[in-house]
Amino acid sequence: MATLSLFVVGILGGVVVHAIADRGPVESPYPQLQKIDEPRVAHDVIQAVGADDARSLSRLMDSTMLTDLDTALQPIVDVRSTKFVGAVESEGRLLSAYVVTGKTTEGIDFVVGFVLRVANDQVVGVN
Amino acid sequence: MHDPAARRIAFGANIAAAGAGFGVSFFGSSRFSGSSSFFGASGESPIARAYMLGLLQRDPNSIVGIRPNQSIAQRAAELQGADTSRTTSSIQPLSLTYIGGATVGTYSVHIYAVGLRTAQGVDQFFPLALTVSGGKVVRSE
Repeated sequence: MATLSLFVVGILGGVVVHAIADRGPVESPYPQLQKIDEPRVAHDVIQAVGADDARSLSRLMDSTMLTDLDTALQPIVDVRSTKFVGAVESEGRLLSAYVVTGKTTEGIDFVVGFVLRVANDQVVGVN
Repeated sequence: MHDPAARRIAFGANIAAAGAGFGVSFFGSSRFSGSSSFFGASGESPIARAYMLGLLQRDPNSIVGIRPNQSIAQRAAELQGADTSRTTSSIQPLSLTYIGGATVGTYSVHIYAVGLRTAQGVDQFFPLALTVSGGKVVRSE
């Protein structure tokens, strides 16, 4: 019983030591923008991506943006999940960020992040 | 627990448990995957933050240890560019916002929004997605 107690105390001690030793990110001297809700039009685009719905996507984006989206998703060719991680706005320009997981052509699991640019209720770019 | 052998076993178990506790916390922390530790709340990776600050402050030396290795010619060219940029003060950072991120296995993705003012006084607002793995930024786009 005493050995088991020491084991538990040891685990807790290790976690606490790591928590003390592991400091968070260094302070940024730059101001942060306020987060906003996901823009509706960006949500529609990512929903089409997640549902593998090429027809809907073709109606939501022009060919240039589709090429940019293809580049942003590389090397993923088979999307398994999409996740909205946040959005920010500056002077009417919105950035809506996503993380996508999926498989490469070789079947390897991969994760990429990309951002949809939104202005005037339209997706105007992909980064 | 007066038996010396039993005391040794207990002491060994305590040390092993402490190591296990540290390890469990470490594997859930930024140093491994780049995401927050179990006790961190923001989810932002210290590595990603340091990388972004190095970029905005045009200080390639500060991020040399947290990005993929580059050739000496690439590093020299980058230092030249940073020196020129600093002396001409062509870019003024306006904001740095961590939008969010996610972790899959040993890879984590962290997305930032950057606000800059160019030498011409034009404000730019653009995103940057960093992929962190093994304590380094392995992809930036």
